[in-house]
Amino acid sequence: MHPVVQIKTFASLLADEIYYTFSFLRHRRGVMRGEIFHQLYAMGYRSAPIVCLITFLIGITISLTSAAQLKMFGADIYLADLIGIAMINELVPLMSGIMLAGKIGASITAEISTMKVMDEIDALTTMGLTPVRFLMVPRLIAITLAVPMLVALADFVGIAGGAIVARTVLGIPIPVFAGQVLSAVDLSDFLTGLGKTLVFGWAVVVAAGYKAFTMERGAESVGKATTESVVLSIALIIGLDCLFAFVLY
Amino acid sequence: MDIITVRDLDVGYGGRPVLSGLSFAVPSGRITVIVGESGSGKSTLLKTLIGLLPPLRGEIRLDGGRIDFDSERELAGLYRRIGVLFQNNALLESLTLDQNVALPIWMHHRDWPAEKAAERARIMLGRVGLAGHGAKYPFELSGGMRKRAALARAMVLEPGLVFCDEPTAGLDPITAAGLDELLTELRTVHGVTFVVVTHELRSIARIADRLLLLRGGRLQFDGEYTEAAASADPYLQAFFLRKAAS
Repeated sequence: MHPVVQIKTFASLLADEIYYTFSFLRHRRGVMRGEIFHQLYAMGYRSAPIVCLITFLIGITISLTSAAQLKMFGADIYLADLIGIAMINELVPLMSGIMLAGKIGASITAEISTMKVMDEIDALTTMGLTPVRFLMVPRLIAITLAVPMLVALADFVGIAGGAIVARTVLGIPIPVFAGQVLSAVDLSDFLTGLGKTLVFGWAVVVAAGYKAFTMERGAESVGKATTESVVLSIALIIGLDCLFAFVLY
Repeated sequence: MDIITVRDLDVGYGGRPVLSGLSFAVPSGRITVIVGESGSGKSTLLKTLIGLLPPLRGEIRLDGGRIDFDSERELAGLYRRIGVLFQNNALLESLTLDQNVALPIWMHHRDWPAEKAAERARIMLGRVGLAGHGAKYPFELSGGMRKRAALARAMVLEPGLVFCDEPTAGLDPITAAGLDELLTELRTVHGVTFVVVTHELRSIARIADRLLLLRGGRLQFDGEYTEAAASADPYLQAFFLRKAAS
Protein backbone atom coordinates (compact mmCIF):
# COMPACT_ATOMS: atom_id res chain seq x y z
CA MET A 1 0.00 0.00 0.00
CA HIS A 2 1.22 3.49 -0.87
CA PRO A 3 2.28 5.48 2.25
CA VAL A 4 -0.29 8.20 1.56
CA VAL A 5 -3.04 5.57 1.33
CA GLN A 6 -1.76 4.02 4.56
CA ILE A 7 -1.91 7.35 6.37
CA LYS A 8 -5.42 8.01 5.02
CA THR A 9 -6.57 4.55 6.09
CA PHE A 10 -5.04 4.98 9.54
CA ALA A 11 -6.67 8.41 9.95
CA SER A 12 -10.00 7.05 8.76
CA LEU A 13 -9.87 4.14 11.21
CA LEU A 14 -8.85 6.49 14.02
CA ALA A 15 -11.77 8.80 13.21
CA ASP A 16 -14.17 5.82 13.16
CA GLU A 17 -12.87 4.61 16.51
CA ILE A 18 -13.22 8.04 18.12
CA TYR A 19 -16.73 8.45 16.69
CA TYR A 20 -17.88 4.97 17.75
CA THR A 21 -16.39 5.35 21.22
CA PHE A 22 -18.22 8.60 21.89
CA SER A 23 -21.33 7.18 20.27
CA PHE A 24 -21.13 4.18 22.63
CA LEU A 25 -20.62 6.40 25.64
CA ARG A 26 -23.79 8.31 24.70
CA HIS A 27 -26.06 5.46 23.58
CA ARG A 28 -24.50 2.34 25.15
CA ARG A 29 -24.97 0.40 21.90
CA GLY A 30 -22.91 -1.81 19.63
CA VAL A 31 -20.69 -3.43 22.26
CA MET A 32 -21.38 -6.77 23.95
CA ARG A 33 -22.25 -6.70 27.60
CA GLY A 34 -19.27 -7.77 29.72
CA GLU A 35 -16.77 -7.28 26.91
CA ILE A 36 -15.24 -4.13 28.44
CA PHE A 37 -14.63 -5.97 31.74
CA HIS A 38 -13.20 -8.93 29.83
CA GLN A 39 -10.76 -6.59 28.06
CA LEU A 40 -10.02 -4.69 31.26
CA TYR A 41 -9.06 -7.96 32.93
CA ALA A 42 -6.74 -8.84 30.03
CA MET A 43 -5.20 -5.39 29.70
CA GLY A 44 -5.04 -4.34 33.33
CA TYR A 45 -4.87 -7.31 35.65
CA ARG A 46 -2.86 -9.57 33.35
CA SER A 47 -0.43 -6.82 32.27
CA ALA A 48 0.22 -5.50 35.75
CA PRO A 49 2.82 -8.10 36.84
CA ILE A 50 5.10 -7.64 33.81
CA VAL A 51 4.78 -3.84 33.85
CA CYS A 52 5.62 -3.80 37.57
CA LEU A 53 8.56 -6.18 37.17
CA ILE A 54 10.09 -4.13 34.35
CA THR A 55 9.66 -0.78 36.11
CA PHE A 56 11.02 -2.25 39.37
CA LEU A 57 14.15 -3.48 37.56
CA ILE A 58 14.52 -0.15 35.79
CA GLY A 59 14.20 1.65 39.11
CA ILE A 60 17.03 -0.48 40.51
CA THR A 61 19.22 -0.10 37.41
CA ILE A 62 18.86 3.68 37.16
CA SER A 63 19.51 4.03 40.91
CA LEU A 64 22.64 1.88 40.80
CA THR A 65 24.14 3.74 37.84
CA SER A 66 23.29 7.16 39.29
CA ALA A 67 24.19 6.44 42.92
CA ALA A 68 27.90 6.07 42.17
CA GLN A 69 28.03 9.42 40.37
CA LEU A 70 25.99 11.29 42.98
CA LYS A 71 28.09 9.86 45.81
CA MET A 72 31.25 11.35 44.26
CA PHE A 73 29.70 14.83 44.62
CA GLY A 74 28.16 14.13 48.03
CA ALA A 75 24.73 14.54 46.54
CA ASP A 76 23.40 11.15 47.63
CA ILE A 77 20.00 12.42 48.70
CA TYR A 78 19.30 13.78 45.23
CA LEU A 79 18.99 10.18 44.03
CA ALA A 80 15.42 10.38 45.31
CA ASP A 81 14.72 13.48 43.20
CA LEU A 82 16.26 11.84 40.14
CA ILE A 83 14.35 8.59 40.53
CA GLY A 84 11.05 10.28 41.33
CA ILE A 85 11.15 12.69 38.43
CA ALA A 86 12.61 10.20 35.92
CA MET A 87 10.21 7.40 36.79
CA ILE A 88 7.03 9.44 36.98
CA ASN A 89 7.64 11.75 34.03
CA GLU A 90 9.48 9.57 31.60
CA LEU A 91 10.42 5.98 32.38
CA VAL A 92 7.08 4.63 33.57
CA PRO A 93 5.11 6.10 30.63
CA LEU A 94 7.72 4.98 28.09
CA MET A 95 8.28 1.49 29.48
CA SER A 96 4.58 0.91 30.16
CA GLY A 97 3.84 1.96 26.59
CA ILE A 98 6.44 -0.41 25.19
CA MET A 99 5.21 -3.26 27.40
CA LEU A 100 1.64 -2.59 26.30
CA ALA A 101 2.78 -2.66 22.66
CA GLY A 102 4.42 -6.05 23.14
CA LYS A 103 1.65 -7.59 25.21
CA ILE A 104 -1.65 -5.89 24.40
CA GLY A 105 -0.93 -4.62 20.89
CA ALA A 106 0.39 -7.96 19.66
CA SER A 107 -2.54 -9.79 21.23
CA ILE A 108 -5.14 -7.46 19.68
CA THR A 109 -3.61 -7.75 16.21
CA ALA A 110 -3.24 -11.53 16.43
CA GLU A 111 -6.82 -11.96 17.63
CA ILE A 112 -8.50 -9.65 15.12
CA SER A 113 -6.39 -10.75 12.15
CA THR A 114 -7.15 -14.39 12.94
CA MET A 115 -10.83 -13.45 13.04
CA LYS A 116 -10.36 -11.90 9.62
CA VAL A 117 -8.74 -15.04 8.22
CA MET A 118 -11.56 -17.17 9.70
CA ASP A 119 -14.25 -14.94 8.08
CA GLU A 120 -15.43 -13.78 11.52
CA ILE A 121 -15.14 -10.12 10.53
CA ASP A 122 -17.27 -10.72 7.43
CA ALA A 123 -19.71 -12.67 9.60
CA LEU A 124 -20.03 -9.71 11.98
CA THR A 125 -20.74 -7.44 9.02
CA THR A 126 -23.42 -9.75 7.60
CA MET A 127 -25.04 -9.90 11.03
CA GLY A 128 -25.39 -6.12 10.84
CA LEU A 129 -22.63 -5.40 13.34
CA THR A 130 -19.87 -2.86 12.68
CA PRO A 131 -16.61 -4.74 13.30
CA VAL A 132 -14.61 -1.61 14.21
CA ARG A 133 -17.22 -0.61 16.77
CA PHE A 134 -17.81 -4.13 18.07
CA LEU A 135 -14.12 -4.99 18.49
CA MET A 136 -12.27 -1.72 19.04
CA VAL A 137 -14.54 0.28 21.32
CA PRO A 138 -14.31 -2.17 24.27
CA ARG A 139 -10.53 -2.26 23.88
CA LEU A 140 -10.21 1.53 23.77
CA ILE A 141 -12.40 1.95 26.83
CA ALA A 142 -10.58 -0.85 28.65
CA ILE A 143 -7.14 0.64 27.98
CA THR A 144 -8.42 4.02 29.20
CA LEU A 145 -9.52 2.43 32.48
CA ALA A 146 -6.49 0.15 32.83
CA VAL A 147 -3.75 2.75 32.28
CA PRO A 148 -4.29 4.86 35.45
CA MET A 149 -4.14 1.71 37.55
CA LEU A 150 -1.01 0.49 35.77
CA VAL A 151 0.69 3.89 36.01
CA ALA A 152 0.02 4.23 39.74
CA LEU A 153 1.34 0.72 40.36
CA ALA A 154 4.36 1.16 38.12
CA ASP A 155 5.25 4.55 39.65
CA PHE A 156 5.14 3.04 43.11
CA VAL A 157 7.10 -0.09 42.22
CA GLY A 158 9.73 1.79 40.17
CA ILE A 159 10.37 4.26 42.99
CA ALA A 160 10.44 1.35 45.44
CA GLY A 161 13.26 -0.18 43.35
CA GLY A 162 15.17 3.08 43.69
CA ALA A 163 14.47 3.25 47.42
CA ILE A 164 15.90 -0.24 47.97
CA VAL A 165 19.13 0.76 46.20
CA ALA A 166 19.29 4.03 48.13
CA ARG A 167 18.93 2.11 51.38
CA THR A 168 21.43 -0.65 50.59
CA VAL A 169 24.07 1.25 48.61
CA LEU A 170 23.86 4.80 49.99
CA GLY A 171 22.37 4.02 53.40
CA ILE A 172 19.48 6.47 52.94
CA PRO A 173 16.55 5.41 55.15
CA ILE A 174 13.41 4.62 53.18
CA PRO A 175 11.22 7.28 54.98
CA VAL A 176 13.83 9.94 54.14
CA PHE A 177 13.97 8.77 50.51
CA ALA A 178 10.17 8.81 50.32
CA GLY A 179 9.99 12.30 51.83
CA GLN A 180 12.56 13.58 49.33
CA VAL A 181 10.63 12.04 46.40
CA LEU A 182 7.41 13.68 47.59
CA SER A 183 9.14 17.05 47.84
CA ALA A 184 10.60 16.68 44.31
CA VAL A 185 7.44 15.68 42.48
CA ASP A 186 3.88 16.91 42.67
CA LEU A 187 0.46 15.97 41.32
CA SER A 188 1.13 17.66 37.99
CA ASP A 189 4.10 15.31 37.42
CA PHE A 190 1.88 12.30 38.10
CA LEU A 191 -0.84 13.64 35.81
CA THR A 192 1.71 14.35 33.07
CA GLY A 193 2.98 10.78 33.25
CA LEU A 194 -0.55 9.45 33.36
CA GLY A 195 -1.58 11.54 30.35
CA LYS A 196 1.44 10.40 28.35
CA THR A 197 0.80 6.74 29.17
CA LEU A 198 -2.86 7.09 28.20
CA VAL A 199 -1.89 8.51 24.83
CA PHE A 200 0.68 5.71 24.36
CA GLY A 201 -1.97 3.13 25.30
CA TRP A 202 -4.45 4.55 22.78
CA ALA A 203 -1.68 4.59 20.15
CA VAL A 204 -0.98 0.91 20.83
CA VAL A 205 -4.65 -0.10 20.52
CA VAL A 206 -5.26 1.99 17.40
CA ALA A 207 -2.06 0.76 15.71
CA ALA A 208 -2.94 -2.85 16.57
CA GLY A 209 -6.43 -2.44 15.12
CA TYR A 210 -5.07 -0.73 12.02
CA LYS A 211 -2.62 -3.55 11.30
CA ALA A 212 -5.30 -6.20 11.93
CA PHE A 213 -8.05 -4.64 9.82
CA THR A 214 -5.76 -3.82 6.89
CA MET A 215 -3.85 -7.12 6.74
CA GLU A 216 -4.04 -9.27 3.64
CA ARG A 217 -5.79 -12.60 4.03
CA GLY A 218 -3.72 -15.68 4.70
CA ALA A 219 -2.43 -17.49 7.75
CA GLU A 220 1.12 -16.19 7.29
CA SER A 221 -0.22 -12.63 7.27
CA VAL A 222 -1.30 -12.96 10.91
CA GLY A 223 2.32 -13.25 12.10
CA LYS A 224 3.43 -10.47 9.80
CA ALA A 225 0.63 -8.15 10.91
CA THR A 226 1.37 -8.88 14.58
CA THR A 227 5.07 -8.07 14.20
CA GLU A 228 4.29 -4.92 12.24
CA SER A 229 1.78 -3.88 14.86
CA VAL A 230 4.41 -4.02 17.62
CA VAL A 231 6.95 -2.12 15.49
CA LEU A 232 4.38 0.53 14.55
CA SER A 233 3.24 0.89 18.16
CA ILE A 234 6.79 1.37 19.46
CA ALA A 235 7.58 3.84 16.67
CA LEU A 236 4.42 5.79 17.51
CA ILE A 237 5.26 5.76 21.23
CA ILE A 238 8.79 7.07 20.66
CA GLY A 239 7.54 9.68 18.19
CA LEU A 240 4.79 10.85 20.54
CA ASP A 241 7.21 10.91 23.47
CA CYS A 242 9.52 13.13 21.49
CA LEU A 243 6.58 15.39 20.69
CA PHE A 244 5.64 15.52 24.39
CA ALA A 245 9.23 16.46 25.26
CA PHE A 246 9.04 19.42 22.87
CA VAL A 247 5.69 20.54 24.20
CA LEU A 248 6.25 19.98 27.93
CA TYR A 249 9.86 20.94 28.48
CA MET B 1 -41.59 -16.34 -7.32
CA ASP B 2 -37.99 -15.14 -7.41
CA ILE B 3 -36.41 -13.87 -4.22
CA ILE B 4 -33.28 -12.55 -5.98
CA THR B 5 -32.99 -11.21 -9.50
CA VAL B 6 -29.64 -10.24 -10.95
CA ARG B 7 -29.25 -8.21 -14.13
CA ASP B 8 -26.13 -7.47 -16.18
CA LEU B 9 -23.95 -7.91 -13.13
CA ASP B 10 -20.17 -7.46 -13.25
CA VAL B 11 -18.29 -8.38 -10.08
CA GLY B 12 -14.58 -8.18 -9.32
CA TYR B 13 -11.85 -6.42 -7.42
CA GLY B 14 -10.16 -3.05 -7.98
CA GLY B 15 -12.29 -2.29 -11.04
CA ARG B 16 -11.23 -5.52 -12.78
CA PRO B 17 -14.18 -7.86 -13.37
CA VAL B 18 -13.91 -11.51 -12.38
CA LEU B 19 -17.42 -12.22 -13.69
CA SER B 20 -19.26 -10.19 -16.32
CA GLY B 21 -22.77 -9.86 -17.67
CA LEU B 22 -24.46 -12.16 -15.16
CA SER B 23 -28.26 -12.29 -15.28
CA PHE B 24 -30.15 -14.87 -13.31
CA ALA B 25 -32.86 -15.36 -10.73
CA VAL B 26 -33.02 -17.30 -7.48
CA PRO B 27 -36.45 -18.86 -6.92
CA SER B 28 -37.99 -18.70 -3.47
CA GLY B 29 -38.19 -21.82 -1.32
CA ARG B 30 -35.63 -23.77 -3.34
CA ILE B 31 -31.93 -24.55 -3.18
CA THR B 32 -29.85 -22.88 -5.87
CA VAL B 33 -26.30 -24.15 -6.12
CA ILE B 34 -23.52 -22.09 -7.66
CA VAL B 35 -20.79 -24.28 -9.09
CA GLY B 36 -17.63 -23.80 -11.09
CA GLU B 37 -13.96 -24.63 -11.15
CA SER B 38 -11.60 -23.17 -8.57
CA GLY B 39 -11.03 -19.50 -9.40
CA SER B 40 -14.21 -19.26 -11.46
CA GLY B 41 -15.53 -16.49 -9.20
CA LYS B 42 -18.08 -18.39 -7.09
CA SER B 43 -16.95 -16.82 -3.83
CA THR B 44 -16.62 -13.38 -5.43
CA LEU B 45 -20.22 -13.62 -6.63
CA LEU B 46 -21.33 -14.77 -3.19
CA LYS B 47 -19.53 -11.84 -1.56
CA THR B 48 -21.46 -9.47 -3.80
CA LEU B 49 -24.78 -11.20 -3.17
CA ILE B 50 -24.30 -10.89 0.60
CA GLY B 51 -23.36 -7.22 0.38
CA LEU B 52 -19.65 -7.45 1.20
CA LEU B 53 -18.37 -6.52 -2.27
CA PRO B 54 -20.14 -3.81 -4.29
CA PRO B 55 -20.79 -4.81 -7.90
CA LEU B 56 -18.83 -3.09 -10.65
CA ARG B 57 -21.95 -2.84 -12.80
CA GLY B 58 -25.51 -4.09 -12.94
CA GLU B 59 -28.14 -4.57 -10.27
CA ILE B 60 -29.30 -7.04 -7.66
CA ARG B 61 -32.91 -7.06 -6.50
CA LEU B 62 -34.04 -8.73 -3.31
CA ASP B 63 -37.81 -9.34 -3.23
CA GLY B 64 -38.09 -6.87 -6.09
CA GLY B 65 -36.24 -4.03 -4.31
CA ARG B 66 -32.94 -2.87 -5.77
CA ILE B 67 -30.01 -3.12 -3.31
CA ASP B 68 -28.10 0.15 -3.08
CA PHE B 69 -24.57 -0.82 -2.04
CA ASP B 70 -23.70 2.82 -1.24
CA SER B 71 -26.37 3.08 1.41
CA GLU B 72 -25.46 1.77 4.88
CA ARG B 73 -29.13 1.75 5.80
CA GLU B 74 -30.01 -0.45 2.82
CA LEU B 75 -27.18 -2.82 3.56
CA ALA B 76 -28.35 -3.02 7.17
CA GLY B 77 -31.79 -3.89 5.80
CA LEU B 78 -30.24 -6.57 3.61
CA TYR B 79 -28.40 -8.08 6.59
CA ARG B 80 -31.67 -8.29 8.52
CA ARG B 81 -33.19 -10.36 5.73
CA ILE B 82 -30.40 -12.82 4.99
CA GLY B 83 -28.31 -15.35 6.85
CA VAL B 84 -24.81 -16.43 5.88
CA LEU B 85 -22.99 -19.66 6.62
CA PHE B 86 -19.29 -19.08 5.96
CA GLN B 87 -16.85 -21.73 4.81
CA ASN B 88 -14.85 -21.39 8.04
CA ASN B 89 -18.04 -21.30 10.14
CA ALA B 90 -16.95 -17.89 11.46
CA LEU B 91 -18.21 -18.64 14.95
CA LEU B 92 -16.70 -16.24 17.48
CA GLU B 93 -14.31 -18.40 19.48
CA SER B 94 -14.63 -16.32 22.63
CA LEU B 95 -18.40 -16.85 22.84
CA THR B 96 -20.44 -19.93 23.71
CA LEU B 97 -22.79 -21.41 21.10
CA ASP B 98 -25.77 -19.79 22.84
CA GLN B 99 -24.04 -16.40 22.68
CA ASN B 100 -22.92 -16.92 19.08
CA VAL B 101 -26.42 -17.84 17.94
CA ALA B 102 -28.00 -14.99 19.90
CA LEU B 103 -25.61 -12.40 18.44
CA PRO B 104 -27.85 -11.39 15.48
CA ILE B 105 -30.83 -11.11 17.87
CA TRP B 106 -28.78 -8.91 20.17
CA MET B 107 -27.99 -6.69 17.17
CA HIS B 108 -31.43 -6.52 15.55
CA HIS B 109 -33.83 -6.93 18.47
CA ARG B 110 -32.33 -4.89 21.30
CA ASP B 111 -35.71 -4.63 22.96
CA TRP B 112 -35.97 -8.40 23.45
CA PRO B 113 -35.48 -9.60 27.01
CA ALA B 114 -32.37 -11.75 27.45
CA GLU B 115 -34.51 -14.82 28.25
CA LYS B 116 -36.43 -14.49 24.99
CA ALA B 117 -33.20 -14.22 22.97
CA ALA B 118 -31.70 -17.18 24.81
CA GLU B 119 -34.86 -19.22 24.21
CA ARG B 120 -34.75 -18.44 20.47
CA ALA B 121 -31.08 -19.42 20.36
CA ARG B 122 -31.91 -22.71 22.09
CA ILE B 123 -34.73 -23.39 19.63
CA MET B 124 -32.42 -22.80 16.68
CA LEU B 125 -29.71 -25.00 18.13
CA GLY B 126 -32.34 -27.70 18.63
CA ARG B 127 -33.48 -27.31 15.03
CA VAL B 128 -29.97 -28.09 13.76
CA GLY B 129 -29.53 -31.00 16.17
CA LEU B 130 -27.42 -29.23 18.79
CA ALA B 131 -29.88 -29.12 21.68
CA GLY B 132 -28.00 -29.18 24.97
CA HIS B 133 -24.72 -27.93 23.49
CA GLY B 134 -25.39 -24.21 23.96
CA ALA B 135 -22.95 -23.77 26.83
CA LYS B 136 -20.05 -25.14 24.83
CA TYR B 137 -17.43 -23.05 23.06
CA PRO B 138 -16.78 -23.57 19.33
CA PHE B 139 -13.37 -25.15 20.00
CA GLU B 140 -15.11 -27.92 21.95
CA LEU B 141 -17.09 -29.04 18.88
CA SER B 142 -16.41 -31.24 15.87
CA GLY B 143 -16.31 -29.78 12.35
CA GLY B 144 -19.85 -30.92 11.58
CA MET B 145 -21.22 -29.51 14.83
CA ARG B 146 -19.53 -26.19 14.17
CA LYS B 147 -21.17 -26.03 10.74
CA ARG B 148 -24.55 -26.77 12.30
CA ALA B 149 -24.03 -24.11 14.95
CA ALA B 150 -23.05 -21.59 12.27
CA LEU B 151 -26.20 -22.55 10.36
CA ALA B 152 -28.28 -22.00 13.50
CA ARG B 153 -26.77 -18.53 13.84
CA ALA B 154 -27.42 -17.80 10.15
CA MET B 155 -31.08 -18.76 10.62
CA VAL B 156 -31.79 -17.35 14.05
CA LEU B 157 -33.61 -14.29 12.66
CA GLU B 158 -35.59 -16.65 10.39
CA PRO B 159 -34.34 -14.77 7.36
CA GLY B 160 -35.99 -16.80 4.60
CA LEU B 161 -32.83 -16.57 2.49
CA VAL B 162 -29.59 -18.21 3.59
CA PHE B 163 -26.28 -18.19 1.73
CA CYS B 164 -23.86 -21.04 2.32
CA ASP B 165 -20.23 -20.99 1.23
CA GLU B 166 -18.89 -24.54 0.84
CA PRO B 167 -21.01 -25.91 3.69
CA THR B 168 -19.65 -29.45 3.46
CA ALA B 169 -16.00 -28.60 2.76
CA GLY B 170 -13.66 -30.48 5.05
CA LEU B 171 -16.37 -32.76 6.45
CA ASP B 172 -16.35 -36.55 6.26
CA PRO B 173 -18.95 -38.06 3.86
CA ILE B 174 -21.38 -39.09 6.60
CA THR B 175 -21.33 -35.70 8.35
CA ALA B 176 -21.58 -33.96 4.95
CA ALA B 177 -24.63 -36.06 4.05
CA GLY B 178 -26.20 -35.17 7.40
CA LEU B 179 -25.69 -31.48 6.77
CA ASP B 180 -27.14 -31.78 3.25
CA GLU B 181 -30.14 -33.54 4.73
CA LEU B 182 -30.56 -30.70 7.19
CA LEU B 183 -30.51 -28.09 4.40
CA THR B 184 -33.15 -29.96 2.38
CA GLU B 185 -35.26 -30.40 5.52
CA LEU B 186 -35.06 -26.70 6.34
CA ARG B 187 -36.08 -25.92 2.77
CA THR B 188 -38.98 -28.37 2.76
CA VAL B 189 -40.30 -27.91 6.30
CA HIS B 190 -39.55 -24.24 6.91
CA GLY B 191 -39.54 -22.95 3.32
CA VAL B 192 -36.04 -21.47 3.58
CA THR B 193 -34.39 -20.44 0.32
CA PHE B 194 -30.73 -21.45 0.09
CA VAL B 195 -27.99 -20.23 -2.22
CA VAL B 196 -25.11 -22.65 -1.86
CA VAL B 197 -21.62 -22.34 -3.28
CA THR B 198 -19.96 -25.72 -3.54
CA HIS B 199 -18.08 -28.05 -5.81
CA GLU B 200 -18.83 -31.23 -3.89
CA LEU B 201 -20.61 -33.31 -6.53
CA ARG B 202 -22.32 -35.61 -4.05
CA SER B 203 -23.67 -32.62 -2.17
CA ILE B 204 -24.86 -31.00 -5.37
CA ALA B 205 -26.74 -34.19 -6.32
CA ARG B 206 -28.37 -34.32 -2.88
CA ILE B 207 -29.46 -30.71 -2.43
CA ALA B 208 -29.59 -28.83 -5.74
CA ASP B 209 -32.91 -27.76 -7.20
CA ARG B 210 -31.37 -25.23 -9.52
CA LEU B 211 -27.83 -24.87 -10.78
CA LEU B 212 -25.73 -21.89 -11.84
CA LEU B 213 -22.47 -22.90 -13.50
CA LEU B 214 -19.73 -20.28 -13.79
CA ARG B 215 -16.97 -20.62 -16.35
CA GLY B 216 -14.50 -18.24 -17.94
CA GLY B 217 -15.97 -15.19 -16.22
CA ARG B 218 -19.50 -15.88 -17.52
CA LEU B 219 -22.59 -17.79 -16.51
CA GLN B 220 -22.37 -20.96 -18.58
CA PHE B 221 -25.53 -22.68 -17.34
CA ASP B 222 -28.64 -21.52 -15.49
CA GLY B 223 -31.39 -24.07 -15.03
CA GLU B 224 -32.75 -27.04 -13.15
CA TYR B 225 -30.25 -29.47 -11.70
CA THR B 226 -31.89 -32.43 -13.44
CA GLU B 227 -31.55 -30.59 -16.73
CA ALA B 228 -27.85 -29.96 -16.08
CA ALA B 229 -27.16 -33.53 -15.04
CA ALA B 230 -28.78 -34.85 -18.21
CA SER B 231 -27.26 -32.22 -20.49
CA ALA B 232 -25.31 -33.22 -23.57
CA ASP B 233 -23.08 -30.16 -23.16
CA PRO B 234 -19.49 -31.55 -23.13
CA TYR B 235 -18.37 -29.21 -20.34
CA LEU B 236 -21.34 -30.05 -18.12
CA GLN B 237 -20.76 -33.75 -18.75
CA ALA B 238 -17.08 -33.35 -17.93
CA PHE B 239 -17.98 -31.45 -14.77
CA PHE B 240 -20.40 -34.04 -13.48
CA LEU B 241 -18.25 -37.00 -14.54
CA ARG B 242 -15.19 -35.33 -12.93
CA LYS B 243 -13.18 -35.38 -16.13
CA ALA B 244 -10.68 -32.75 -17.16
CA ALA B 245 -12.48 -30.31 -19.45
CA SER B 246 -11.06 -29.72 -22.91
